[in-house]
Amino acid sequence: MHYPWWYVPHLTSPMLIAFIATIHVLVSHYAVGGGLFLAVEVGHAHRRGDRDYLAYLKQHAWFFILITVVFGAITGVGIWWTIGLASPLATEVLIRIFVFGWAMEYVFFLIEIAAAFLFFYYWDRVRPGTHTLFGWVYAIAAWISLVLITGITGFMLNSGYLRGAQPADIGFWQAFFNPQFIPQVLARTGGSLLLASMYVFFHASIWVKSPELKEKIGKRSARPALLGAILILVGGVGWFINLPEYSIITLQKAPALNIFMALLFAVTVAVFVMLYLGPYRNPAWMTPGFGILFLLFGFAAVTTGEFVREAARKPFIVHNVVLSNQVLAAELPQMQVRGLLESGPWSRALVQARHPEAVDDRGKVLDSTLAALPAEDRIALGAVVFQQACNDCHAIEQGLSAMSHLVIGWPDERVHDVARRPERYQHFMPPFPGTDEEARLLAEWMISIRPDPPGDMWFGDEPRTVAAPAGEEE
Amino acid sequence: METINPQDLIATTSAFPLPAAPWFLLLFKVIGFTLHAVPMGLMFAGILIALLMHTAGGEHARRWSTRMLRQMPIIVAFGINLGIVPLLFTQVAYSRVFYPATILMANQWIMIIALLIFAYYGVYLMAIGLKGGRERLTGKRMLAGWVSALLFISIGLIFASAMRMMADVGSWPQHWANTEFAGAVTGMAVNHGDPAVIARWLMVFGLSIMTVAAWIVFDAGFLGQRESEQYRLWARGFAMRLFVIGAVWFAATGSWYTFGTWSPAIRGEMFGFPLIPLTLVTALSPALVFALLVIRPGAVTKSTAMIVIHAQVVVVALNAVSRQVKQSLELAPFMRVSDEAVKWQVSPLLIFLVLFVAGVGFIGYLVKRAASEAREIEAA
Repeated sequence: MHYPWWYVPHLTSPMLIAFIATIHVLVSHYAVGGGLFLAVEVGHAHRRGDRDYLAYLKQHAWFFILITVVFGAITGVGIWWTIGLASPLATEVLIRIFVFGWAMEYVFFLIEIAAAFLFFYYWDRVRPGTHTLFGWVYAIAAWISLVLITGITGFMLNSGYLRGAQPADIGFWQAFFNPQFIPQVLARTGGSLLLASMYVFFHASIWVKSPELKEKIGKRSARPALLGAILILVGGVGWFINLPEYSIITLQKAPALNIFMALLFAVTVAVFVMLYLGPYRNPAWMTPGFGILFLLFGFAAVTTGEFVREAARKPFIVHNVVLSNQVLAAELPQMQVRGLLESGPWSRALVQARHPEAVDDRGKVLDSTLAALPAEDRIALGAVVFQQACNDCHAIEQGLSAMSHLVIGWPDERVHDVARRPERYQHFMPPFPGTDEEARLLAEWMISIRPDPPGDMWFGDEPRTVAAPAGEEE
Repeated sequence: METINPQDLIATTSAFPLPAAPWFLLLFKVIGFTLHAVPMGLMFAGILIALLMHTAGGEHARRWSTRMLRQMPIIVAFGINLGIVPLLFTQVAYSRVFYPATILMANQWIMIIALLIFAYYGVYLMAIGLKGGRERLTGKRMLAGWVSALLFISIGLIFASAMRMMADVGSWPQHWANTEFAGAVTGMAVNHGDPAVIARWLMVFGLSIMTVAAWIVFDAGFLGQRESEQYRLWARGFAMRLFVIGAVWFAATGSWYTFGTWSPAIRGEMFGFPLIPLTLVTALSPALVFALLVIRPGAVTKSTAMIVIHAQVVVVALNAVSRQVKQSLELAPFMRVSDEAVKWQVSPLLIFLVLFVAGVGFIGYLVKRAASEAREIEAA
């Protein structure tokens, strides 16, 4: 409520974060795992004097730079852009707690870039030991970046934040070493190793012609992938154990998440089986078709996992700190007394300008003045309340979890009650951040967009028009 | 909505304290911006100038152009990543104006990401055309370069718009009224018609031309030591001419920006005591670089290269400081960073500072080691 709300029709603005973050994750994990792969393998190839393998690794390093340094870096910046636009309050909170964590990450980014370019552009121009060192510098810096960002994303899922603690009490280290930190570092490190191997299989399956070299690449990159698979399993179990109770219930309760969890499990198992049977046991399977399919399965596993991870966080953006509708949990009770429209500077200014009759002599928006507004104005303000309190997750009439679709067939009383106490109907909904009168405005607006139930459903004829079975006539 | 007092749109101070005192945050914002502005200047004006020289220049001009365009993927990588720190500290210190301003113009602000992806891949497409000792770009590679140059220039315009929107709180109610939907912001606000945006954008372009000129000297004297004496002689002469063009451009557009778009109150502050020395030094600082180029005649040497590039960094830093002071003055009626509570995060801050210094030193060590080993191996 502190900031203006960005309305993106049909999609809702937070979905842009999900879109960019998912794309970024597919590349950023490769940036970490691929760096480790290149460092280990270049060292191995230099020790053995394996010119063919080195030539392949150079080719792969170029592919790696084009994917990670360009696309990975820009989509990473893209996440910054979108969270600031679609989730400004949560971004403000995170940045005030973790600014020096991000600043440290920036230093490691610079080291990564320098090492990556030195590694590639000084190929064959420095001693093998120095060349391998560049690879390791990149790999370690990239992994530390992963560790630093995981401390922040882990805090969002389970802050370990104590009920009643004041915002000023949240210290950097307490927040960083949250209950999700170690499990997520393990899982993400594993995911990086696994995904990097998939990129390697994909790349090698298309560009490597020599069967011997293909076999070597398949065998050698399958090992870190298997290690990655183990880390994902261990980290995944730790992730689940350290979820807040409400997240576990959410995962079990929401039908869409049930499907995604099943999908995640199935795709992950398929990836493990393909990894074992393919590159590890039968490197000759490394055809372009297999390489592409394997990578796509990896993408499916990662994106599904990210979706589940994000969804489990509702009704929070930052666990126990920021609610999904841009409200500080600590400020919620005050807003329920003071009012949503009065609490936000933009909503208050809007009411003062557009509905001056709704404000008192001191310029305050009061329940009593709202109650006296004509029906048309009440519906207009209900739309404003919807934007501020609900549009994070709900489109209006068409699109993502559209409100009009949700209320089809609901009687007015139910609409009013859900608007007032959404958390009682779904525990992953945030409480309504306004007064009773504002909830009524929202409900009236919801009723105004409620469509009639679809007319093309038939449940048998109306009981009164059906002839009673023979022998049962009155 | 036109009747809304802009002050009413500013959020109250955050419940979450600043992790360091405002002076520290603003200091790092300025340092970060300075570090970002050097490669940014090369992206902003350098690609364009290099492509012009590639098309219409003589032998040495084409040689420089080839060198510059080959370096561009690395310059862009550092330019983008060095942009993280100023953005980070801007968001910490100025969240109350940065977020509303960028949300008002969200659609073009987010478009930067898409433009940047195309621009960066365009740079690679172009630079790949110069691999393996090739000196001339083919038509398609050249086209990729032109597209990238235009995209970077467009991105510069959007940045100028966003920074102007951030400081121009008075315009928010009108932008909001023009683009709102049920009180929400549609992100369609556009302020490209604001002379301050255009003047600022062009002024930064002038500064960027001067940075390109300084880079030519740095490249010839430091990175291009294997180039011929004639080339390094040409480099100095060309850099001087280009620097003069940049300085004239900077002076003209800077004057427009200062005397044509600043409010009398801001101008009064910036040209009154105690700020007038800063304003004048900022305006006149390009003369320092020019003087260095004049007093060090002949082919560019390593020492000339180092002195000139450092002097240009000072010019950029002075602009960053003045820019910060002006921004603080413009925002003062609406918000002050010093209004926020502060709770120092001492240990993370110290770790960051140590890492920052050690990291820069370590990168220097890696580069030096690579260069010296490469020389040894080639000599052997």
